[in-house]
Amino acid sequence: MEKIKTFIHHLFIPHEENNFRAKSLHTDFLTVYVVIAFLMMMVFKQGNIHDVLGFATDISVEKLYQLTNEQRQKNNLTTLSLNPSLTLAAKRKAENMFQENYWSHYSPDGKTPWDFILGAGYKYEYAGENLAKNFLFSNGVVDAWMNSPTHRDNLLKKEYTEVGYAIVNGVLNGEQTTLVVQEFGKPMVAGEATKNIPVVPNKPMIEKNTEQIVVQKAVAPKVNFLNFSFNLNLIFMSFLILALVLDFYFASKFNVIRIGGKNTAHLLFIVFVLIGLFMSTIGTII
Amino acid sequence: MTKHFYINLQKELKNHIFDYLLLFTAGIFFLILLNIFRGQRTIEFFVLVSFAFFYIIWGVYHHIVNETLHLKTVVEYILIAFIIIFLLKIIILP
Repeated sequence: MEKIKTFIHHLFIPHEENNFRAKSLHTDFLTVYVVIAFLMMMVFKQGNIHDVLGFATDISVEKLYQLTNEQRQKNNLTTLSLNPSLTLAAKRKAENMFQENYWSHYSPDGKTPWDFILGAGYKYEYAGENLAKNFLFSNGVVDAWMNSPTHRDNLLKKEYTEVGYAIVNGVLNGEQTTLVVQEFGKPMVAGEATKNIPVVPNKPMIEKNTEQIVVQKAVAPKVNFLNFSFNLNLIFMSFLILALVLDFYFASKFNVIRIGGKNTAHLLFIVFVLIGLFMSTIGTII
Repeated sequence: MTKHFYINLQKELKNHIFDYLLLFTAGIFFLILLNIFRGQRTIEFFVLVSFAFFYIIWGVYHHIVNETLHLKTVVEYILIAFIIIFLLKIIILP
């Protein structure tokens, strides 16, 4: 126990034996961190563990479906059931976005979301569509939809009874992109088939100025590796922050004057990067 | 503990207000650029690398101005910058 205490003391507290600088911030230790970080990077890259194309996403249909229904339950609405036709429509919509190179609810040649839904054999009374791209996590997608009034209205529309999802990874001008398509619907009841429908569905949101070229591929990764590497990053950076804060505090307390980098600057740099890391988990929705 | 920390932090920031403002401004630019190019992974990574290199240059400049430049110090800035670059590459550009 005493040995562990001494080791932690040596690791974090500047004193004579570690040349008045926390050992965890010595150049040799920092070099070890660089090597570890580099090896981690190579292992994650070579292992191709994000998914078959190497996309950094941790979005799954199961999680999106679960989170969507949780939001509906919170708002005292009925839960949605997964519908294979809506799933097919979502998949075809994503495929069409790749083929015709657009990021919008409407294709350049005028195809609407309703064309895809009807084309998949789903005759609807009500239908709607939410799109998202470049999110890292499923909860980020649903949170973004819930924070946008129009998408929220879609997600919480009481008329909907069924839903379908497509999660597609691809490349846009060399950029890896993950696209999420969510199609909602309420099937037309048999008796209403003679009513000369389709009923006008809710209006989807349109974004005009985004270019998107994606090559279709893959579904969600099987294992939660992105979450794992994300948490590993947080642990690594938290460790560095802890070491810098403790070293700064004790060096100030003991009035230690030494040659070395400024902990304040290191901290500022790491904090900005951490904020940036969280920002990179957020994509865009239309 | 916090008292010591804040007093010395304030002292450090006050003594080098221009330098830290420069680093802080670069950090804000870094976040703004990340927000503008959100989702464009290669550009995001390029922005991160640029910020990391700025941080190394900032370190060298700061220590030159304070006449405390030493090879060990430069290496420290480089190592911290590269730890961050490698770690974030896993997330941004796997």
